[in-house]
Amino acid sequence: MRLSKFDFHAPKTISEAIELLQSKGPDARLMAGGTDLLMKMKHGAVKPPCLISLKSVPGLNAIRFDESAGLTIGATALLSEVAEHPDILRHYPTVAQAARATANVQVRNMGTVVGNLCNASPAADNPPIHMAMRAVVLIEGPGGKRELPLDEFFRGPGVTALLPAEIVTGLRVPRMPVNAGTAYHSLSARGKLDCNAVGAAVMLTLKGKICEDVRLFISACGPTPLRGRKAEEMVRGKELTEEIAAKAGAEAAEESLPITDLRASADYRTEMVAVLTRRVLKEACQMALTSQPA
Amino acid sequence: MREFNIVGKHVPRNDARAKATGTAIYTDDIKLPGMLHGRILRSPLPHARILRIDTSKAAALPGVRCVITGEDTPKIKYGNWRLFPDTQDEYPLAIDKVRFIGDEVAAVAAVDLDTAEEALSLIEVEYEELPAVFDVESAIAQGAPVLHDYCPSNISVNRKIQYGDLEKAFAEADYVREDTFTVHAVSHAYLEPCSSVAQADLDGRITLWTSTQTPYITQCLLASTMNMRENDIRVIKPFVGGGFGGKMELRTWEFCAAFMAKKTGRPVKFTLSREEEFLAGRRRHPMKLTSKVGFKKDGTLTGKDLRIHLDGGAYNAMGPTATFLCGNFGAMLYRYPSYRFFGEHVYTNKPPASAMRGFGAPQSIFATETQMNIAAEELGIDPIELRLKNAQVSGDKIPDVATISTCGFKESLEKVAEMCNWKEKRAQYKTGGGKGIGIGCYSFISGGVFNWFNTQYPFSAAEVRAFDDGTVHLLTMAADIGQGCDTVVKQILAEELGLKMEDIRITSADTSMTPQADLGAWGSRLTLMNGNAVIDAARKIKEQIFGMVSVRFNLNVIHEMECKDGKVFPKGRPQRSMTFGEAVAMAQKANRGEPLVARGYYTPRDKGMVTPAFSFGAQVAEVEVDKETGIVQVKKFWTAHDCGTVINPKAVEGQLEGAIQMGLGYTLSEQFIMDGGKTLNTTFLDYKMPNAMDMPPSETAHIDTYEPEGPMGAKEAGEGLAIPTAPAIAAAVHHATGYRCKDLPITPEKILNATKSL
Amino acid sequence: MKHVITLNVNGDPYTVSVDPSQTLNEVLREELNLTGVKLGCGSGDCGACTVLMDGRAVSSCLTLAVEAEGKDILTVEGLAPSGEKLHVIQEEFIDKGAIQCGFCTAGMEMSALHLLNKNPSPTETEIREALSGNLCRCTGYAKIVEAISSAAQRMNDASERNQ
Ligand SMILES: Cc1cc2nc3c(=O)[nH]c(=O)nc-3n(C[C@H](O)[C@H](O)[C@H](O)COP(=O)(O)OP(=O)(O)OC[C@H]3O[C@@H](n4cnc5c(N)ncnc54)[C@H](O)[C@@H]3O)c2cc1C
Ligand code: FES
Ligand code: FES
Repeated sequence: MRLSKFDFHAPKTISEAIELLQSKGPDARLMAGGTDLLMKMKHGAVKPPCLISLKSVPGLNAIRFDESAGLTIGATALLSEVAEHPDILRHYPTVAQAARATANVQVRNMGTVVGNLCNASPAADNPPIHMAMRAVVLIEGPGGKRELPLDEFFRGPGVTALLPAEIVTGLRVPRMPVNAGTAYHSLSARGKLDCNAVGAAVMLTLKGKICEDVRLFISACGPTPLRGRKAEEMVRGKELTEEIAAKAGAEAAEESLPITDLRASADYRTEMVAVLTRRVLKEACQMALTSQPA
Repeated sequence: MREFNIVGKHVPRNDARAKATGTAIYTDDIKLPGMLHGRILRSPLPHARILRIDTSKAAALPGVRCVITGEDTPKIKYGNWRLFPDTQDEYPLAIDKVRFIGDEVAAVAAVDLDTAEEALSLIEVEYEELPAVFDVESAIAQGAPVLHDYCPSNISVNRKIQYGDLEKAFAEADYVREDTFTVHAVSHAYLEPCSSVAQADLDGRITLWTSTQTPYITQCLLASTMNMRENDIRVIKPFVGGGFGGKMELRTWEFCAAFMAKKTGRPVKFTLSREEEFLAGRRRHPMKLTSKVGFKKDGTLTGKDLRIHLDGGAYNAMGPTATFLCGNFGAMLYRYPSYRFFGEHVYTNKPPASAMRGFGAPQSIFATETQMNIAAEELGIDPIELRLKNAQVSGDKIPDVATISTCGFKESLEKVAEMCNWKEKRAQYKTGGGKGIGIGCYSFISGGVFNWFNTQYPFSAAEVRAFDDGTVHLLTMAADIGQGCDTVVKQILAEELGLKMEDIRITSADTSMTPQADLGAWGSRLTLMNGNAVIDAARKIKEQIFGMVSVRFNLNVIHEMECKDGKVFPKGRPQRSMTFGEAVAMAQKANRGEPLVARGYYTPRDKGMVTPAFSFGAQVAEVEVDKETGIVQVKKFWTAHDCGTVINPKAVEGQLEGAIQMGLGYTLSEQFIMDGGKTLNTTFLDYKMPNAMDMPPSETAHIDTYEPEGPMGAKEAGEGLAIPTAPAIAAAVHHATGYRCKDLPITPEKILNATKSL
Repeated sequence: MKHVITLNVNGDPYTVSVDPSQTLNEVLREELNLTGVKLGCGSGDCGACTVLMDGRAVSSCLTLAVEAEGKDILTVEGLAPSGEKLHVIQEEFIDKGAIQCGFCTAGMEMSALHLLNKNPSPTETEIREALSGNLCRCTGYAKIVEAISSAAQRMNDASERNQ
């Protein structure tokens, strides 16, 4: 339960951080809040010889909202800052809700949304809603800057599309389309704040009562958060009736690839995918309906 | 009912200020000059012979001061059941064999923790892996691997109870049913990980500061395993961050700290990590219970036949007591004209189970109460009516087991029914409709009368020193582990001597200062037993100062005297009073300067086989179940209970509220997830104990009784309350969903699977 | 390599030399002897180690000491205005019977302070949410919630009087 020894660096710029990543070798690790990384180190799962903290890079914790460009969440913006930010609460309520559903007060005061993504845990709370909302990962590395849609970012448990010495500098979330609604639900065995057994997030856009577009993501049921494509097909172009929602749930359950672990069995997870899918679809639809001009 | 001044009043805890300000010193807060830090090497295998241990590389690591294995120790077995030496089956460090994953193999003391940890990784152990058993069935099967040579059957202890004619009971019954229940292991999950610091004095005495519930037991067993005399060991209990039964035996790190302090001449500290606590820590006994009960058509019980197997893990620990108590509790709550119990404690290659709040009763009574609820349904009788019909009452005798002196069980049942609107809600919520209420009841002991520890001292003792400034000093070995007994015994003493709380100073749980002895904080014994010892000492003080008042005012011998409001005077004649301090001064003068000191003792005698006094109570849970996810939400608890006189109302409420948290976790979310002998969930993240958001509101009523054997009428209010929650929730879940839980815990998955097939 | 850091703890400046692998919890407990800060799990789950860092409740067991460079740390030892006068939160914990074994108490009080600084009139649900990272095995949380709620009231009354 003690941390192994390591060198610690707190670069003041992103380029300095990239240089450190290059010079310290592949085992050096970036650290934002450290709530995942230090916990893994304490349990002996990783022993990085060198930690590079991003917290001293000025401005990297910024949260910006712009009517046209949307929302940018900096790499060191805390979960609690995202959960409480007035613009996010107003324009991205489900993003705030997912941040608030992550861990507990103390961890939210230390950990970051970007760290939650970069950790690439299939059960993490924040990825599904950001994926549903077409978030884009802002990346900087030895080869310069690039952007990657978040739904192409996850490659497996703990594995991302980052190339050596690349750093995620932030996350951009486009504005929610008009007539759109979002929702995120997760299940766990203790209270509402806990690591999830299963989660589902959706964004859907209505035209009248017809569901024009829908993006559904399921967490903790596969190596990465999964997209429920067949479930989306079931909904797209239709009115979201009880029956359609239930069918979409069944499709999503069919598409999911859960395993049995400490937190739930595969069978239970599969069943819950159906239930949560149905619930998030209905909730998002409700939100889209009430946001439509009468 | 007696009128009290301090007993029954809201008195803040003695230690609350120290704890609120962070100045209370717990064992791990202690830092001594030159102190070394210890770590323990644990077995990675569930069952293996140790072929070779090479500690040379570890010992050679700079900063390492001492490395020991079992071979370096006196190799003396220990266990809490000293009266039956056969049951003492544990060595401080493994000799020849390891028997569970986490079994202690070697220990290191070094200048700092990092060095100690590095040294652990340098110890080489060669094992020969042996076949292992992880459940009772495999452990008692023919040809099963044997854990302990002395015990080829793997059944280390058994207990039988029998009275009445059981054959006849079942023959005469109109309705007989048999059910098998299984209950699982859970963790004490006290917030303070175990910690010990030992120091050897120049003259060879060892002082051990340790996070324990039982300073005296630790002193004795440490002395025997170190091959020293009891008085050569001084055990001091600093503040303790909870125990719940998990800190009441000698443990390896206590031994290692002491042994290594002696060897190195430097203080040594061991503090466990949370991971070690979950991986290798003691736990509640998993059990399989088969219970057969008979009823008449009208609901009258005719008899009960209870057979249980306890999955004890690799060592006996407190398993024998749990076996014993399971049988006793099987006969509690209701009047069984005939009863038979057979319990067996079985070794398996898992971390040892031991005492945990309720100590056999939660398991036994889960079976009793669930079966009662099933029977009520099948007999078409309201569950509370069925209970009232069979409930034990004051004066009931259980052959060979106990006589119940005071009993507020029926009153508890009636009260709780009224508090929760039982009748209306039972009728209003349809079975399977998603909402439900259910009842569970309990009874518990106020300390045990059994002396398996074979103490040669009274069960509890107290010393009161009175001073001429009107203060007194109370010394007692009783261990406050957070339950608040220091405050409670101070209240009792203040009441008895007519003093204020601030007039009393207390020194507790230091075996070299406080009078011999006290068996410790377990079995909900301290209020009753230590309370009685304190009263005994206080009365001896009073006798002496009463004499002074008598002389001073030249009183007629027929006068009764009293101590009240800091004064001593003949009853009804307060004008002839002296202050308490003046009376003490006179007594001291009369004895030519000898300080006024008295000792009091309590040992229960002629109190049956179990306890001097039983508590009783009933609890109702209301739940809502999400029928799609199977998630249970408890909406509210109502509890009515009889703990005799309530000495400290907030302490009793606090015990109840804490017990509900533990009971809720036991029922719905807490469990050890095991892969063979390996505990997989070793963090609080995955060992799911309820947090503040999971706790429903709760309402309580105390039933007034006055227990003649208790101090000022008090009985227990500590462990019993942890019992009714599981059966109450299980019954409510049945009402809400139709799913009848016979194997704890109740998980969403079990509910969904069961309701699908309904 | 050790790093020399300066930090401000309970209003006092300290300069300590720390190894990067040392947590803030270790430095507070072992170097500065602030043992009111507890260690219940070491992995961010129990909240016994909670301190305020620049006003935010954090787990000192999951915070590297090197990252506390230049920060303001408040521990339970800095909560009371003086040795004799306690903080309202402490007084309420004592009075409401919110303390049993006391091992969770310091962390609970720090979480309570963090909550009340942000939200002077929390609802019961908000109090419970604010305690979601603080486990207690003794009290069932009921009296802790009650203590925080009444501390909030008293703090509000006092600030009204001061206005
Ligand atoms: C008690 C507890 C409870 C928790 N509960 C939950 C929960 O309910 N739900 C949940 O989803 N998570 C939970 N977590 C996990 C964790 O807190 C979150 O994942 C958190 O958001 C991680 O953020 P961080 O800033 O602390 O990440 P860090 O630990 O700093 O980093 C995580 C990983 O990402 C990498 N990384 C970080 N930043 C960057 C970057 N900018 N570019 C590239 N790589 C980067 C790091 O190298 C590391 O591998 C819990 C953790 C704890 C301790
Ligand atoms: S000790 Fe830090 S959260 Fe438990
Ligand atoms: S009072 Fe003991 S853990 Fe909270």
